[in-house]
Amino acid sequence: MSVRPKSPSSFARGLAICATAAGAILIFDGAVHVLMAQTPFGGPRPSAEPQVGGIVGWLLARQSEFYREMSATIRAAKSDGSAVWTLLAISFAYGIFHAAGPGHGKAVISSYLVANQETARRGIVLSFASALMQSLVAVVIVAVCAWLLNATAKTMCGAEKAIEIVSYAMIAAFGARLVWTKGGGFIRALQAPRPALAMASAGHGHGHDHHHHHHDHDHHHDHHHDHDHGPGQHVHDEHGGHSHGPEPSELAGPGGWRRGFGAIFAVGMRPCSGAILVLVFALAQGLFWAGIAATFVMGLGTAITVATIAVIAVSAKDLARRLSAGTEGGGTLVMRGVEFGAAGLVLLFGVGLLFGYLAAERVTCL
Amino acid sequence: VNVARRLLDLLWLAGALVLAAGTAQAHPHVWITATSELIYAPDGAITGVRHAWTFDDMFSTYALQGIETKTKGVYSREELAPLAQTNVESLKEFKFFTFAKADGKKEKFEEPVDYFLEYKDAALTLHFTLPLKTPLKSKELALEVFDPEFFIDFKFADKDPVKLVGAPAACQMKFQRPNDGSANAQKLGEQTFLSGQNSNFGMMFANKITVECP
Repeated sequence: MSVRPKSPSSFARGLAICATAAGAILIFDGAVHVLMAQTPFGGPRPSAEPQVGGIVGWLLARQSEFYREMSATIRAAKSDGSAVWTLLAISFAYGIFHAAGPGHGKAVISSYLVANQETARRGIVLSFASALMQSLVAVVIVAVCAWLLNATAKTMCGAEKAIEIVSYAMIAAFGARLVWTKGGGFIRALQAPRPALAMASAGHGHGHDHHHHHHDHDHHHDHHHDHDHGPGQHVHDEHGGHSHGPEPSELAGPGGWRRGFGAIFAVGMRPCSGAILVLVFALAQGLFWAGIAATFVMGLGTAITVATIAVIAVSAKDLARRLSAGTEGGGTLVMRGVEFGAAGLVLLFGVGLLFGYLAAERVTCL
Repeated sequence: VNVARRLLDLLWLAGALVLAAGTAQAHPHVWITATSELIYAPDGAITGVRHAWTFDDMFSTYALQGIETKTKGVYSREELAPLAQTNVESLKEFKFFTFAKADGKKEKFEEPVDYFLEYKDAALTLHFTLPLKTPLKSKELALEVFDPEFFIDFKFADKDPVKLVGAPAACQMKFQRPNDGSANAQKLGEQTFLSGQNSNFGMMFANKITVECP
């Protein structure tokens, strides 16, 4: 129980970190706000756009512009093939800006990474994989429903809604599992007296190794899979971190790639409404392939944004860990707490989305 | 344990912030160019609103997907009837994006009547009339057209955006676009997002019609 005197200081430090981060964001936003007021990006805009301040307003304006240009560009591509390049450029930019909006799994992926002690590199791979999957799902839905079956928008929308519900349920289930695992670690960290606490945390990692020993086959399995995929190779030696020792940063999260793919699947199976609209439009213009190309380029842009946010989340956690590392017991408690909280967030996202408390991007059913 | 509780509070706060920021960044996928008519009965009571909403070409194409027609590219009102039916049924969930207040009191609408779709210049226009539950004579009537989630961007037509049909001569109509600068946009700044009042987010994009009848 000698933790007590020391914990508050580490807590205070944690608080300071959070406050600093929040402050930095506010200052940055404020700066952009002022900048905007002085020199509106892209010259004086006609007042067609709603005047919303700050980063949010700017993002909204950019996204809308890019998106609206897409239909005109696809039409132009019918007679002028070079317009496809313009389309791809617009799609890429749109993807980058668009992913800043709700959906696209930024929050879920970031929370998962924090909860599961994942590394930044793995965060990047997961972000790209989920964006790739989102693009694929959109293409498959439109190819099957619109192109093969010539189904109506209503049918397509029904399919989208069904997929959406499954995706949210999967996120919730995934979150529940994380909470279960992380809750154990957190409670152990809470209950253990200080000397035992270090043990507990070591035991924690150790336990996972043991626990997942029988999963090792799966790991290997996934590895082969990764090799086929390509991007997995980057992380190959990274994964070797298992043998490096129980250092938390090296510990690829419990469940390893298998659970990582669970995250991708849960998040990535819900396509973006925007991509579906673009694909159907391109199909109607007889340029389905251009729509498919645009969708994947859009996905690439999305991946960049999601990966950036994921890396920020992981770095913030690393920073918190380094700063709280001074006090051994308290540090472990703080980190377990953060992981538990992040796991809770994943669950909250899933449940919130599922029951409509949280609005992600609405599926277009009019 | 005290530490843990404070830590959890902090996490809740962080979570709320993330959610708030996420919701705030919704942006439109559908653009509607609207015109509206306010319909008055001979006795001077307003009975309802007649909307004509023209969808952008991307959404129009999407909505027409899979609809069979006799002549390719030509859609008759009859061929579009099932789609119009779907439209008004789906719009119900969103309260037709039309919100009325008479002398500060919220008013309800009945199910839409006289609805049909028209296809012209690669764009679909949905026509429908929303009857008020009870026709009313009010000193001040405020009507807002917008999507609170901002999935749909409503822009009223440049020419004759709003008309009064059969209104008493003394009635005065004012129309406010969301980007007038005089609208809510200035009152609701970035603070609104941070304070989590996202339910009001779409308000910034509201088109506001006010009619004053002395």
